[in-house]
Amino acid sequence: MSKAQVSLRKKDILGLEAMPAAEMELILDTAKEMKNIIDRDIKKAPTLRGKAIVNLFFENSTRTRTSFELAGKYLGADVINISTSSSSVAKGESLRDTLLTVEAMGVDIIVMRHEAEGSAQFAANIARPVIINAGDGAHEHPTQGLLDMFTIKQFKGRLAGLKVAIVGDILHSRVARSNVWGLQKMGAEVHLAGPQTLLPREIEKIGIQVHNRVEDALDQADVVNVLRIQRERQQKGLFPSAREYARIFGINAKRLALAKQDALLMHPGPMNRGLEIAPDIAYGDQSAIQEQVKNGLAVRMALLFLVLMGGTHIEAAH
Amino acid sequence: MKLLIKGGRIINPAENMDVVGDILIENGKIAAIGSSCPAAGAEIIDAAGLVVTPGLVDMHVHLREPGLEAKEDIASGTRAAAAGGFTTIACMPNTRPAIDSSIVVAGLTQRAKTEGVVKLKIIGALSKGLEGRELAEIGDMIESGAVAISDDGGHLDSTRLLKTGLEYTGMFGRPVITHSEDEGLANEGFMHEGAVSAVLGLKGRPAVAEDIAVARDIMLAEYANAPIHIAHVSSKGAVEIIRQAKQRGVKVTAEATPHHLTLTDEELRTFNTAFKVNPPLRSAEHVAALIDGLKDGTLDAIATDHAPHAFEEKDVEFRYAPSGFAGLETAVGVVLTGLYHTGKLTLPEIIAKLSYGPAKILGLDSGVLKVGAPADITIIDTEYKWAVDCIKFYTRGKHSPFESRNLKGKPLITIVNGSIIMQNGEVLK
Repeated sequence: MSKAQVSLRKKDILGLEAMPAAEMELILDTAKEMKNIIDRDIKKAPTLRGKAIVNLFFENSTRTRTSFELAGKYLGADVINISTSSSSVAKGESLRDTLLTVEAMGVDIIVMRHEAEGSAQFAANIARPVIINAGDGAHEHPTQGLLDMFTIKQFKGRLAGLKVAIVGDILHSRVARSNVWGLQKMGAEVHLAGPQTLLPREIEKIGIQVHNRVEDALDQADVVNVLRIQRERQQKGLFPSAREYARIFGINAKRLALAKQDALLMHPGPMNRGLEIAPDIAYGDQSAIQEQVKNGLAVRMALLFLVLMGGTHIEAAH
Repeated sequence: MKLLIKGGRIINPAENMDVVGDILIENGKIAAIGSSCPAAGAEIIDAAGLVVTPGLVDMHVHLREPGLEAKEDIASGTRAAAAGGFTTIACMPNTRPAIDSSIVVAGLTQRAKTEGVVKLKIIGALSKGLEGRELAEIGDMIESGAVAISDDGGHLDSTRLLKTGLEYTGMFGRPVITHSEDEGLANEGFMHEGAVSAVLGLKGRPAVAEDIAVARDIMLAEYANAPIHIAHVSSKGAVEIIRQAKQRGVKVTAEATPHHLTLTDEELRTFNTAFKVNPPLRSAEHVAALIDGLKDGTLDAIATDHAPHAFEEKDVEFRYAPSGFAGLETAVGVVLTGLYHTGKLTLPEIIAKLSYGPAKILGLDSGVLKVGAPADITIIDTEYKWAVDCIKFYTRGKHSPFESRNLKGKPLITIVNGSIIMQNGEVLK
């Protein structure tokens, strides 16, 4: 199938587990075009004029919410943000009711971040607007997965055949899961590493390599993707101390040197410098962390465009 | 009034009976069982090609009354039981207030006489208010008719209280029924811990949490020399622990549910809250171990753990949905489809687990077919094909993991004390 014939199969973007490789490629190709818009003086394309997007965030987020907001605005859509710090259940209004209320206002896309795994699927079953999952609990964060792939492709020119090490709290990480699905489908070799207490039981059954020794995962890696460690995990007793984590599992210059000389260092942010990542390498020569943020915007613009315009080609982005 | 059930395949596990014949009912009791009973003056039920069994007994049902009637009450729950072929059910005490005193036991027993359509037995709480601190008035409840004692709905954390509860309940010759799952280990989990939870990102409840709790509970029962019944066994390790305990003579019995016997955690991939249950649906190796346990007698009963919830309670994000679902009206179809038609268990084996097995555990005189006994009888068409439609349930709990599934096998007639109370899926009272 030629790229021109590929289009997004489903109404919603819920995760990368079910997304075919061809669709991911379409999104990445489209993002390349979108990235040009970000660098323009006047960052406004009329492509989504007259369309309405709601960012419905049940969890705090600066990075992802801002990225989606700007993505929509750069493409000319009307974007509003609804943030709430507690679950819909705690507030007394069900998620169903909230979604139907937003739907009744005629919005075209609901970008949803929610602490509960499967909430995006739940929303897609209920609401007519397109649902884009901006993170559902520890399940998936598809746009982060896509922007990570986009970044790797930008620096390495390819994804197939690369060794990608993902290091840190895999257990609670939606980023790790989306990365695993996306990278595997694109032919990369994924290695996960972290303390056993932060690795999901039986995760190796999905065909990836799992290590407790970070060094084994880093050995000759093309890409090192470091995940954020939330300090509350230590309070829950999943590892003894931040100090010990940094010493045994943290990525520093010495450990990074085990990877290939030109290995790319990534982090979905926000970083805990001195915990999971050493300050000197966070923005060092190998770091792609700032570029990830920019690419996130491009990928989200591409997605908004593709889900609304039903794009089978990318000319309209120009 | 006479009723003649004619020409059915009579399966009576208590006496290893599996014959084609008739059953004559007179004045609410079984008057004769034989190859040919006199038909004079009797209303005749042609049971040719059907299976005639003792009235089915479900020893683990949540009726939600008193206090949570929006989910279920005696009227709706016993009608669901009748529709499902059950003539006797036992209800768990996790109501609001809890069933933890003889007044509540007596009150429910009285209400069952006016509101209920099948026989209702009461299980009393082990601790006051199900709080796990002080023993409830167990003796008083048993004297008022409670058939067993349990803090089901959650795990009893206090080892000391369980020991005392077993010793005390054992004096009355009644079992303590336990929900055995170490909450400290299972804490905050939403599903079975394994490959599927790893992918979904949902926190897992490890099978070892059940194994450890079952081991503890059995050791206490052994120490107290008192009967214990392990509810809704779901793990391979628990089956093995129960098997070993039985071999050394511990007074332990156990049950498995139709859903744990036929479904795996793979079903959760869609985040459908109808599959959320506690203990959780586990992986295929655990399901296989449960079936082995039924086959070799390690597990004595099949019980539904019927746990209805209001529709809107389940219509939320997976992690916020309550555990449990309606089970009474699908049990026979699910078990026959999943265990009988697949050749995993024989029909007499299944009927034993649905009638005589649970009746024996609770010390009931039901679950058998014998002359002079109350005529509690279920007639089943093992070949009847139907699709589950929750909206048509008699229970108020309209969620089922078997929604829209095609099942083979259904109870066609339920008879309690000689009266037909359900026919062709319709409850007549």
